Amino acid sequence: MCTMEDFKFLFKVVLVGNAGVGKTCLVRRFTQGLFPPGQGATIGVDFMIKTVEVDNDKVKLQIWDTAGQERFRSITQSYYRSAHALILVYDISCQPTFDCLPDWLREIEEYASSKVLRILVGNKIDREDREIPTFVGEDFAARHNMYFLETSAKEAENVEKLFMKIAEDLMQVQAKNKDLPRYESSTTNISGRTSSVSDSSCCSKLT
Amino acid sequence: MLVNFKRVTTLVSFIRRCSTLSKSLPELTKDRYPNIKRGDYAELNQNHLDYFHGLLGQNRVLSDPSDCEMYNIDFIKGVRGYSQCVLKPQTTEEVSKILSFCNQHRLAVCPQGGNTGLVGGSVPVFDEIVLSTSLMNNIISIDNISGVVVCEAGCILESLDDVLREKGLMMPLDLGAKGSCNIGGNVSTNAGGLRLLRYGNLHGSVLGIEAVKANGDVIDCLSTLKKDNTGYHLKHLFIGSEGTLGIVTKVAVHGPSKPKSLNLALLGLHSFENILQTYERAKNDLSEILSSCEMMDERSLDVVTSHLKLKSPIGDFPFYMVVETSGSNEKHDEEKLNAFLEGVMSEGIVADGTVTNEPGKMRAIWDLRERITEGLLHDGYLFKYDISLPIKEFYSLVPKMKERLGSDASRVSGYGHIGDGNIHLNISVPEFSPDILKKVEPYVYELTSTYKGSISAEHGVGFRKPPYIHYSKSENAISLMKDLKKMMDPNGILNPYKVLPS
Repeated sequence: MCTMEDFKFLFKVVLVGNAGVGKTCLVRRFTQGLFPPGQGATIGVDFMIKTVEVDNDKVKLQIWDTAGQERFRSITQSYYRSAHALILVYDISCQPTFDCLPDWLREIEEYASSKVLRILVGNKIDREDREIPTFVGEDFAARHNMYFLETSAKEAENVEKLFMKIAEDLMQVQAKNKDLPRYESSTTNISGRTSSVSDSSCCSKLT
Repeated sequence: MLVNFKRVTTLVSFIRRCSTLSKSLPELTKDRYPNIKRGDYAELNQNHLDYFHGLLGQNRVLSDPSDCEMYNIDFIKGVRGYSQCVLKPQTTEEVSKILSFCNQHRLAVCPQGGNTGLVGGSVPVFDEIVLSTSLMNNIISIDNISGVVVCEAGCILESLDDVLREKGLMMPLDLGAKGSCNIGGNVSTNAGGLRLLRYGNLHGSVLGIEAVKANGDVIDCLSTLKKDNTGYHLKHLFIGSEGTLGIVTKVAVHGPSKPKSLNLALLGLHSFENILQTYERAKNDLSEILSSCEMMDERSLDVVTSHLKLKSPIGDFPFYMVVETSGSNEKHDEEKLNAFLEGVMSEGIVADGTVTNEPGKMRAIWDLRERITEGLLHDGYLFKYDISLPIKEFYSLVPKMKERLGSDASRVSGYGHIGDGNIHLNISVPEFSPDILKKVEPYVYELTSTYKGSISAEHGVGFRKPPYIHYSKSENAISLMKDLKKMMDPNGILNPYKVLPS
């Protein structure tokens, strides 16, 4: 079992963006290494853990995959607040998903911490019918102080890189800024909770 | 086990399809259990029927064998009596006259509500007269301020709940059979269900009872007060005594306020230890909004995913939990749930999950848990146990039984109400075999007793378990129960062969 001693950092990463842009597929590609065709709409919030290694330190990413559809989103807002990183996703072959980005940013500003790491992701670069040129996405990201990356969950392009980049950056930020919450064993372990757990299979299963 | 009534029809038709007999009737109880002898009761004759006709009219006395059939067979078709008379009183006075007459003439009586019991308590063993409460279904009063509903015993649980919900209230119990079970039966069996964790058991939420004793005396304890310490608390004698001490005719139940905000999470976990940790966290973090906390192992989930083709929205894990919150403020509940989920994820005790307040997805998650009973029937023959254990030992029986049975069992699975310490242990075998039965019983009861558990958590004792209650109750306790029975029903006419060992 993963005890707190197994990892140095734990970061909460939340994915947002319009319905159908591929948030769940990005997460599935990263956590399970697969691309589920015909993925249905996410309802509510799905959450999972993935442990990665950065500079020989184990980092746990707690990934929250939210619903894109308005009618399934009513309980998602409080999940922004304690996020360390927010991934805002649009579909490069679908202009309306890009046009909604300012709305998403307003929501992020309203609910998320001002220190949150924000990443803009243009997904589905495997598609031939691109509507949003790369520079338009880059430009938008630069104007809003966000990292930018284009990905393909289907072809596994830049997906690993996206999450690893987040893990690395958050570790650096954390090292510099003591204000951010640290999930180290000595500080957040609640006494007695993990003492009797000895199975060590879960981390290997999750990675 | 509380079976969803909406699926009863599917389930019954399934059993019918599987039956190789031209008629799907189970063997008569008297033939399957030849060791049980009919008590020294009178046999029904025309004079008796004439009296009942005079009292109830022609339509409320069933004596045609085909009319009586459904009242003679239990829900899981495990037992079958051969009663030739079903009575359907509409008032307490009629119940009183029936019992007084039966007591004088030594006619045995089997009280019956919705007939959804799983331990053979609600059908006759031999030819007992069936007293059905189904026509006593009036709601007498609902107090919007106190939330107290007073009603007759034959009200269907779901109908009561529907009426209360229109008034911003709800019934304090919810169980799979709600579409057909009667409140009188719920009270008589002290039914549990999915939300006992939150609203407590019926000893708390039933405020008053009117019952009729074997000699016809009406015991009016129909108080609607939350506090009433005058004399002995007689109502408790009728809660959970399965109609052996009296027939419940009216109840007063405290209905809590209907929640305005509901959330449901399905969690994947790596060990039973993690379930305990998560339950502890849920209690502390969600406290008053926690309304249900259920667990199932991977073999239980497999029942619904492989037999019923339901889809699990999360990955594969050895254990799963369903955690429900209900409260009065969406934002507040969301905050708490969020903090709870972040906590259990951060500590690594929950590996994966999904949370929602969308009704369709909540239904889909509940189905994974509620339809296990139905799915298990596809396995073949089932040895079913409904056991309470100290929470640390909640899951102990499953690996022990699995090891003991080895390849004899096609599946040994456990699921249930973790918050109540109540597990449903199911042992699936391709077909019934007395040799396997000998391996399972009484070992499973001995083991339960070793852990200081109860061999019947919420299903009752009924016809199936009287020989085993000594595993959970002391000799003196059983002896006092027998004394009470003798005092309240000296002729033993009420629901004989049930609850107490002979």
